[in-house]
Amino acid sequence: MTRVQVDRERCISSGVCEHVAPAVFELDDDGVLQVLQAEPDDPAAAAEAVRGCPSGALSFS
Amino acid sequence: MSAPVVPSGSGLEAVDLSDRTFWAQPPEVKHAVLDQLRAEAPFAFFAEPEIPYLPVGPGYHAVTRYADLEAISCRPDLFSSGAGAVSIQDMPPDLNEFYGSLISMDDPRHAKIRRIVAKAFTPRILEGLVGSVQAVAEDVVARARRTAEEGDGTIDVVADLAAPIPLRVICDLMGVPDEDRAMVLHESNVILSGGDPELIESEEHAVEAFLTAGALLSGLMTRMAVERRSHPADDLTTALVNAEVDGERLTDQEIASFFILLLVAGNETTRNAISQGVLALSEHPDQRDRWAADPGLDKTAVEEIVRWTSPITWMRRTATQDVELSGRSFPAGTKFLLFYAAANRDPAVFADPHRFDLARDPNPHVGFGSKGPHFCLGAHLARREISVAFRTIFQQLPDLEVVGPPARLQSSFVNGLKRLPARLPR
Repeated sequence: MTRVQVDRERCISSGVCEHVAPAVFELDDDGVLQVLQAEPDDPAAAAEAVRGCPSGALSFS
Repeated sequence: MSAPVVPSGSGLEAVDLSDRTFWAQPPEVKHAVLDQLRAEAPFAFFAEPEIPYLPVGPGYHAVTRYADLEAISCRPDLFSSGAGAVSIQDMPPDLNEFYGSLISMDDPRHAKIRRIVAKAFTPRILEGLVGSVQAVAEDVVARARRTAEEGDGTIDVVADLAAPIPLRVICDLMGVPDEDRAMVLHESNVILSGGDPELIESEEHAVEAFLTAGALLSGLMTRMAVERRSHPADDLTTALVNAEVDGERLTDQEIASFFILLLVAGNETTRNAISQGVLALSEHPDQRDRWAADPGLDKTAVEEIVRWTSPITWMRRTATQDVELSGRSFPAGTKFLLFYAAANRDPAVFADPHRFDLARDPNPHVGFGSKGPHFCLGAHLARREISVAFRTIFQQLPDLEVVGPPARLQSSFVNGLKRLPARLPR
């Protein structure tokens, strides 16, 4: 099972994940990352976003 | 462009990355040296450049391999920014913070301020700005056309296209009054001049000019902050004076420093990506024609322009303890310059790295910084501006033709153009 996890302490709200996989990630009005699809419809895009996260805040469980 | 050729007889012992004139050379010459450093001396050591009034420090290692750069960047606990990220010399801490703001801070302070400002730079907020970026780009391009028509048919790509777009976007975002914008452009040029003699008259006065520039920008921001507290407006300055994280607000000093960071980082970098993007397209007309005809290329093309130009050549980190990198040991206090320009041409990561390929995918470039908490805050804004600028140029200035060699900034830190002559024959 691939569930997206966010480490809130590490997240810097860079928005890289939203840029790569907008269906899965979105920064809300307070700049807080929301995971729109914890089990992504497009796992490849989600994986790219996890890899690309500059702060290392994203992972799969 | 074919792979750069190392000039014969130029051994690495003759190379000095601290010599400002090295950086004014054409890219193929610089990249030949960076390639050789990456292959033969990936942690090459250099003495620090001398700057009047500042003590000369112990020197630095030039990090040129992508993997090493990433290893340093993603461990801010081992490699600090707080000792200074934007200067080779150690600056007094207050000056460092004043000019570097977030860039020269470590957590937890960095995280606190970054959280306050990050919400103004999310992809969604910036999506909402597309219309205004588009309006700015169209107006700038129309003025460039008039400049050519009323003059001898020529324009300067830097002054007439690349500089005004990001300047106006960032000043609009912050709510800078029209009458202050010329000053903002001039003083941010001074701060990022790298001591280029054309922008700072004499080296003895470099520090003075730098301090004056900071004081002028800081004074403007303080005036604006006071004004917005009593008269809120729909701009970033109002958001900054009101922003709170864990019940804490930014101090006036933090706001002024962040303003300087935005003006400087949000101006010059995007300007240099646009001007050197125009130059790269003129050198690769097949790529230009392909992109102009296909907006579907926007996304990868923008990334390739950022990789290709690497507008910020390096950032500095300082080891907080004894560290090991690729099997080598370095003592606490060692300075490292992370050469993004070199990592972005690392053949271990990029196939055919000296090929300008607007469809390059994947393109994990480090033009916005590598892994770690200091990744460029303005990346989404920059991407948007570059994309809109080129689409507008393709549509409104299809006849744009670069007609002369660029004048390059003599700076190791900023990969910039001072001028790029072009013609608009139609």
